[in-house]
Amino acid sequence: MKWNKSDMSTYIKAKEYIDTVIVPVIPFQTSKDEELIKDAHAQEVMTFFVHHLEKELSGRIMLAPSYVYLKSSELDEEIKRINAWVDDIQSQPFQHIFFITYDPKWKKYEKEMKGNLLWLPALQSEEIDVTEPRGIIREQVNQVVELIRSFW
Amino acid sequence: MSDKKHQVTRRQFLNYTLTGVGGFMAAGLLVSPIRMAIDPVLKESSSGDLVNVGISVDEITDVPQRVDWTVEQVDGWYKSEPSRSAWVYKDENGEIVALSPICTHLGCVVSWEGSEEHPNRFYCPCHDGLYEKDGTNVPGTPPLTPLAVYEQEVRDGILFLGNPIDRKGA
Ligand code: FES
Repeated sequence: MKWNKSDMSTYIKAKEYIDTVIVPVIPFQTSKDEELIKDAHAQEVMTFFVHHLEKELSGRIMLAPSYVYLKSSELDEEIKRINAWVDDIQSQPFQHIFFITYDPKWKKYEKEMKGNLLWLPALQSEEIDVTEPRGIIREQVNQVVELIRSFW
Repeated sequence: MSDKKHQVTRRQFLNYTLTGVGGFMAAGLLVSPIRMAIDPVLKESSSGDLVNVGISVDEITDVPQRVDWTVEQVDGWYKSEPSRSAWVYKDENGEIVALSPICTHLGCVVSWEGSEEHPNRFYCPCHDGLYEKDGTNVPGTPPLTPLAVYEQEVRDGILFLGNPIDRKGA
């Protein structure tokens, strides 16, 4: 389910079945021309990716709104903010929290993170068509579905 | 004096206002047929049409296989291309069956023989929901109704699917 009105009214009634939260973690910047296209594309691919992931497992996971941070900001600070999200999420009976990102910088902070970090290698290809349900993203979705299921 | 003048003004004001509203309503009536033609809000969603899902009848066997496709959906001004999926197979009479993969419990995607412990059934990974091959929910597992069945049609040997139709509980 998603963090929207109708899904949350289902959530309130079926809490015991929804034990997993997915948070997409997305860097944002507009200051560097050289990276602008790449970063914006990564954001698009991530949004598409989690949309399909949510569809596969929507009865047991809640897709949170994306955690967006300035690409240049210090992760020492961001880790505190992101952990505050975890504290809030844990006030509900969720068992598993996954942060999904293409930004490898988080890898260093994995230990301090109060949720599971899923770092995915960025799909660099400009070919990725975010309207196409098949193909490479589908593969990645299937693999992450398997991974999440292994935690259940 | 000034009081009377005020009243007249007010009556005039009301008059103008009401005429104004009436005028608008009349204009609305006149405009509406044109509006119907151009305003997508008033058109039916196009998702009800049957679409080619990219599989020919010969490719369909008695083993359910998953097909994915996109439909162009127009809800009002908002145009989107949601993807859809179905499990497609031929039953013992050779009839094509196209089931929605959406678990009727809380909406996860089920797969044919998705669990090794449950051969010959659709399995929902979220809370171990089970369905028979024809989509009937297995009692004692969380889903209370069968998988929905797609409207279907075969045109020139190609499978076309429409909307999934919900079924009543077993
Ligand atoms: S969503 Fe399928 S069993 Fe709960």
